[in-house]
Amino acid sequence: MSTPSGSGALPSGGAAPEGGTRTWSWGEAAIAVGLFALGVFTLVETTTITVPGSANVLGPRAFPYAVGVLLIGASLALAVSLARGQHGFAEEGEDVDAGARTDWVTVAKLVASFAALVLLIEPLGWPIAATLLFAGTAWALGARILRAAAVGAVLNVAVHVLFVQFLGLFLPAGPLEGVPFFG
Amino acid sequence: MGDIGLLMDGFAAVIQPLYLLYALIGVTVGTAVGVLPGIGPAMTVALLLPLTYSLEPAAALILFAGIYYGGMYGGSTTSILLNTPGEAASIVTALEGNAMARAGRGASALATAAIGSFVAGTIATIALTFLAPAVADLAVQLGPQDFVALTVLAFLTVAAMFGASPARGIAALAVGLLLAMIGTDSLTGQQRFTFGLPALADGIDVVVVAVGIFAVGEALYVASRMRKGPLPLVPVGGSWMSREDLRRSWKPWLRGAAVGFPIGTIPAGGADVATFLSYSMERKLSKHKEEFGHGAIEGVAGPESANNAAAAGVLVPLLTLGLPTSATAAIIIVAFQSYGIQPGPLLFEQESSLVWTLIASLYIGNLLLLVLNLPLVGIWVKLLQIPRPYLYAGILTFAALGSYAVGASTADMMLLFAVGVLGWGMRQFGFPVAPAVVGLILGPIAEEQLRRTLAISQGDPSALVTSPFAAAVYTLLLVFLAVGIYLKRRQVRTEQELLRSRSEPVIQEGTS
Repeated sequence: MSTPSGSGALPSGGAAPEGGTRTWSWGEAAIAVGLFALGVFTLVETTTITVPGSANVLGPRAFPYAVGVLLIGASLALAVSLARGQHGFAEEGEDVDAGARTDWVTVAKLVASFAALVLLIEPLGWPIAATLLFAGTAWALGARILRAAAVGAVLNVAVHVLFVQFLGLFLPAGPLEGVPFFG
Repeated sequence: MGDIGLLMDGFAAVIQPLYLLYALIGVTVGTAVGVLPGIGPAMTVALLLPLTYSLEPAAALILFAGIYYGGMYGGSTTSILLNTPGEAASIVTALEGNAMARAGRGASALATAAIGSFVAGTIATIALTFLAPAVADLAVQLGPQDFVALTVLAFLTVAAMFGASPARGIAALAVGLLLAMIGTDSLTGQQRFTFGLPALADGIDVVVVAVGIFAVGEALYVASRMRKGPLPLVPVGGSWMSREDLRRSWKPWLRGAAVGFPIGTIPAGGADVATFLSYSMERKLSKHKEEFGHGAIEGVAGPESANNAAAAGVLVPLLTLGLPTSATAAIIIVAFQSYGIQPGPLLFEQESSLVWTLIASLYIGNLLLLVLNLPLVGIWVKLLQIPRPYLYAGILTFAALGSYAVGASTADMMLLFAVGVLGWGMRQFGFPVAPAVVGLILGPIAEEQLRRTLAISQGDPSALVTSPFAAAVYTLLLVFLAVGIYLKRRQVRTEQELLRSRSEPVIQEGTS
């Protein structure tokens, strides 16, 4: 078996459990259970796929069945390796503090910013809605909101003009509809 | 050979001012985005995919080839100048290059990386020029059962090579395969996993999934546990290559090319393995063993060359067999598919001029990159100082832009975010994302070829293994897995040794 310290995990920077609070290993157990459930779901859902009479030897169900079995097999293998104490390591990255705990407040702000974009892109148009996304996410990550909004506005107006005028893609202009260069 | 003539035609096409401009834009944007910390080559290529939507195929692929090679060059600048653990892929370069930079020799580290990338990239592109048509000639004779074997090979090697354990790789692969099945079955027209939703009937857009997994997933992951405080950036010091540097670099460049290209062509983990192999080879062969871990120039020159040579090698199975052997390659296939072009054995026949234009553009792109990277490195270094909140806000903005530009639908944006959450979870719990993307893109091809095989054999499953080619592939698969897992374990061991040796006090200063 491969050692648990794959993908270049640092011996010191890893999420070494301390004081018996192995909270993240609960998460991993949940993943294994979830994968198993996904596999079962795949198998069940596959039985509802219509097989037309004309279908030749291997119909539309065969491959989904195989994938369902693969999911269940992987979940079992994962459960075994977890039981043996082989845990996954969170991915390393240039900007990642591997020892840090998940910052849910920041994540919630990002989700809210993104949801705002989805709701607002059509009524307000790309330049305004994307500026809100940029400002919201940059603010969530620690930038000052007014500066972030200014940077976002410049960026997204430039992106809008570049994509609509020069690359010929469609982006909604919202209230800016009809303004020269905005489409 | 007639191929040379075709290549010359390709050059004639690329040399047109408009195409040259696209190549220049491609390498510039690719380098710029590749330099940005936290953005690897796969994310660079995924994020910039929308740029190519409105262009004609040749222009788009030239732009894209530039982005691909540019992202590779840009990444090495980041790993040399940023003093962070970095990703597994570039960890050896990061250690040696960064040690050089801290010892005041940053400029020579950057120079040997850039020139080595050029030399190895050009050698590997020449090898690609001769090897690819030969492989394509062979590939047209392959039957569906042979392609089943090749896709199985790609699935299993990618799943086993990326990530901490094979179980995690297989799980990621299976999730990718499941996502790929959503939509209408191409052979019978039946809906699968659509839950009656019209938005899912056409399947889910692979561009949206790729951008979601790479860009949104990474941004969410970083945001959830961001490193506080400024990143320690090492200033570029010292002079460009001295005579001594050149003397110590040229052999590693050539050896890097010799190791990188073949590793890139086989599904064995792509550039990571090539980089690592080159590094351990240079360490063995060096007369300055004591410098390794503390800034040996060979340890930058070799792996960086191997990295770029592997990037060209990856294009051989990609163009001739339609087989992606890395996450980046999988996204390049998406770029082809968005033009209705399927990379594979027929590509060299049906899209001959397009392919040769693309290959010619690789030569030009490499040359442009050398010019762009050596004198202008100071500009790229500035990009490293971009404030992190703006960087990740920008990644999310461009990801949203890309997903909306695909089909002007907010449903795609919601899908983008949902897949992003999935990518975040995978990173958080140590699941590799590459097998998921490869499964997503290769899954439909594997299924179609499998069903064709069994339709032809009238249900006899032995048809899958009786063709000599398929049998050979399955045998090779066993060899690859054994060798690959061995290499991977050595890689992990070497990395840990390196990290240990670096945390010990430096006893012996480099004395060259």
